Amino acid sequence: MTWIRRAVELLAPALLILGTALLALEVSSYLQAYFLDTLVKVAIVVALYVFIGNSGVLSFGHVSFVAVGAWTAGVLTVPEDQKRITMPGLAHFLLTTSVGNVASLVLAAVVGGIFAFAVGLPLMRLSGLAAGIATFGVLEITNNVLTYEQRIGPGLNAFSSVPSTTGIWQATIGGLVCVVVAYAYQRTRFSRMLRATREDPAAAAAAGISIYRQRLLAFTLSGALAGFAGGLYVHLQPLQAGSLSLNLTFVTLAMLVVGGSGSLLGAVVGALALNGIFSFFSAATNTVDVLGWSFTVPSGTAELTLGMLMAIVLILRPNGLTGGRELSLPRRRSVADLEKARATT
Amino acid sequence: MTLAFLNLTWPTFANGLALGGVYALMAVGIGLVFGVLRLVNFAYGQLIMAGAFALAFGSQWGFPNWASILFCFGVVLGLSVLMDLLVFRPLRTHSPAVMLVATFAVAFLLQNIALLAFGPLGKSAGALAILNAPWDIGGVFIKKIAVISFATAVGCLVILQLLLTRTPLGLHMRAAAMDFRTARLLGVRANWVISGAVIVSGLFAAVSAVMLSVQELTVVPTFGTQDTILVLAGVVLGGLNRPIPATLGGFSIGFANGILGGVLPSNQSQYLPSFLFAAVIVVLLVRPNGLFARGGGTVERV
Amino acid sequence: MTALTVEKLSIRYGAVEAVRGLSLEVKPGEIVGLIGPNGAGKSSTLHAIMGAAPVTGGDVRLDGTSLVGRRPEDVARRGIALVPEGRRIFGELTVDENLRLGLAGRRRGRNGGGLTRAFDLFPILREFRSRQAGVLSGGQQQQLAIGRALVADPDVLLLDEPSLGLAPKIVDVVFEALTQIRDSGLGVLLVEQRAQRTVALADRSHVLANGELRLTLGPEDASDTDRLVAAYLA
Repeated sequence: MTWIRRAVELLAPALLILGTALLALEVSSYLQAYFLDTLVKVAIVVALYVFIGNSGVLSFGHVSFVAVGAWTAGVLTVPEDQKRITMPGLAHFLLTTSVGNVASLVLAAVVGGIFAFAVGLPLMRLSGLAAGIATFGVLEITNNVLTYEQRIGPGLNAFSSVPSTTGIWQATIGGLVCVVVAYAYQRTRFSRMLRATREDPAAAAAAGISIYRQRLLAFTLSGALAGFAGGLYVHLQPLQAGSLSLNLTFVTLAMLVVGGSGSLLGAVVGALALNGIFSFFSAATNTVDVLGWSFTVPSGTAELTLGMLMAIVLILRPNGLTGGRELSLPRRRSVADLEKARATT
Repeated sequence: MTLAFLNLTWPTFANGLALGGVYALMAVGIGLVFGVLRLVNFAYGQLIMAGAFALAFGSQWGFPNWASILFCFGVVLGLSVLMDLLVFRPLRTHSPAVMLVATFAVAFLLQNIALLAFGPLGKSAGALAILNAPWDIGGVFIKKIAVISFATAVGCLVILQLLLTRTPLGLHMRAAAMDFRTARLLGVRANWVISGAVIVSGLFAAVSAVMLSVQELTVVPTFGTQDTILVLAGVVLGGLNRPIPATLGGFSIGFANGILGGVLPSNQSQYLPSFLFAAVIVVLLVRPNGLFARGGGTVERV
Repeated sequence: MTALTVEKLSIRYGAVEAVRGLSLEVKPGEIVGLIGPNGAGKSSTLHAIMGAAPVTGGDVRLDGTSLVGRRPEDVARRGIALVPEGRRIFGELTVDENLRLGLAGRRRGRNGGGLTRAFDLFPILREFRSRQAGVLSGGQQQQLAIGRALVADPDVLLLDEPSLGLAPKIVDVVFEALTQIRDSGLGVLLVEQRAQRTVALADRSHVLANGELRLTLGPEDASDTDRLVAAYLA
């Protein structure tokens, strides 16, 4: 019956996404934007999870892959006549090349993956704080370059005239694609090897596992997913470099950690829960009605609530809401499980 | 008078020294807390931001400068101690990753409190801005604040060195940074050592707040964030666990930042963060344990 | 007057019960040995006394006051000093600084003679006082670790395998020092692998195996190899 258990491992996060999508169909188009945003955040957090969850190593650099994906998909889908007006500094090749929606998403994933691979090639040799700071460096450099380099994008300005193709279908399917890819990776022996290096690097290395290669593989895959998510994002709203930097890094890491960075379910739950709360308070800056009681909050309340929530969850439940476990059917507990349970109490 | 190479002038050089000095203080502030708690305090920049706002408000309320500075110290120290009690201590036994993300959360929280309370435009730094006026030193005009920053930083570091080497508390802090468990078994009081590190770190944040807010003129909610990221890079570059390498690392990156900021033409200086971080990454790849670390130090897994 | 009493002590790490129902006493002016094979629970006992291992049952008392649940630094500051396994000296600090760290465990209002106590017992430390402790030989480091514990002026000294990795000649020096320490009125609890020497030196030696007290030997049993071997195999 293991296939049922496996199916649940995939279905639980997938159903959460579908549920969100169904809810989104029921609300006003104004509120729907928040749901779409949430689904894109799910995609980003799942991308983060593929690396951080499996390797146990923090990365502050993933938002740069999101940004690169967004730039790719954005620049390639703005109609040519618009490009000449909004991004006159664009390199000739980019100025004259345009692709369709789906192709732009695929290319976003490809560019994100290639960039992650190139960055990971040297960086995955590092560990500990050095790795953390280096990924931070990647984020800063990417952001810095995207902010000022007008040959590859809008520079300081926000993207304009990117076709808003990320509607309810694209957001839902995009989120599901990320979940399915993450799940599929999780079922491979590569993921199991990487998880072994997370639990005990020395033993894993002694068993012939190359920590470097496994980390690089996961980093590249998660970079590709992040690029893909960036593509979804740019088709949803006019992005600018400033919105793909520290704050997004913080918010998405918060979602992953609060949900529980050890499981796919945790990534999805964290993204849905935190972005739900975040969206609610963001919407409340322009007044919301809850059960006939309407109220308005000052802008910044959403970030404030998120920060507090995250600090509280970290202090009370450092392994996140899901405790890093997948949802599983109740089953007869094996002796090994009992031993484990006893050891942890 | 111009220094021989590039278009490096003495005032630029002085600004580099000043920024290096402030970054060195911040580096030591972060390093001290890391030493005893194994925690990289990402929220250090927000302590500085809070201090800078305190100064600005002090000026606005018509406080004399000494009172504004005192107010700034009070706010930063109070916040440091609060952070220690509410966040650091409950998380002391958790993994470095959880602690780092938690300080990330605190940073985000404080930044947004500032945004909510003071708005995105910030405040003018106030009365101390007159220190941006230059002194005429043998025909070279150097900003007063540059001289004061550097001198203060050196003074603070000398005092810290005396504290660490000449007092029992300093000895205990050094021992705790090397092997906390054994230090406690010898009777070193964990709470005192942690409080000591947090307070010294807070004092340095307050000093940095004063120096930076004079140089940067306006105080916004993101004040100090970019500096902290650079300092963190510098600290890791130097070697986190030891005060002197951390100081050197912080100083180097501040000095480089100050000098390059003054020397590069503006179409290049906008890429200054990229240059600095690229340099940091290259150095880390060559020497993962830090530029000034001896031997193979233990690496914290994050 | 009893200095240190351990009563029905139990220690548990997760699912593993390291020590079960151990009782022993260390009086002033005596050496009590604690011997047994690896994993018997000897070090765990010392750590539990220091408040650094989870006590799940029983009690540890110093002059009638329970120490269970106190922090290691508080136990140290009540007059119990530990010489940890592997010496655990601070290699980057000087000999002098290492000794001054020992002063952290000194009780309020007690002088105890400062560092001279360590210097008198191990003159080599005075000679090397401004050197980095990391460059000392193994034997010198062990002397430093013991000296560091003594400057706290404790009533009870706990030692965790002080002879580990030392040449026989140096072991003589260390054991001779222990005799002097006992004669100065301290209670000494000595955890050791060198069973025979420990039994010969100590006033009583308890044999621990699988976390339980197997038997107690006196100095007269030191030459009785059969009994020692039997105790280990029991």
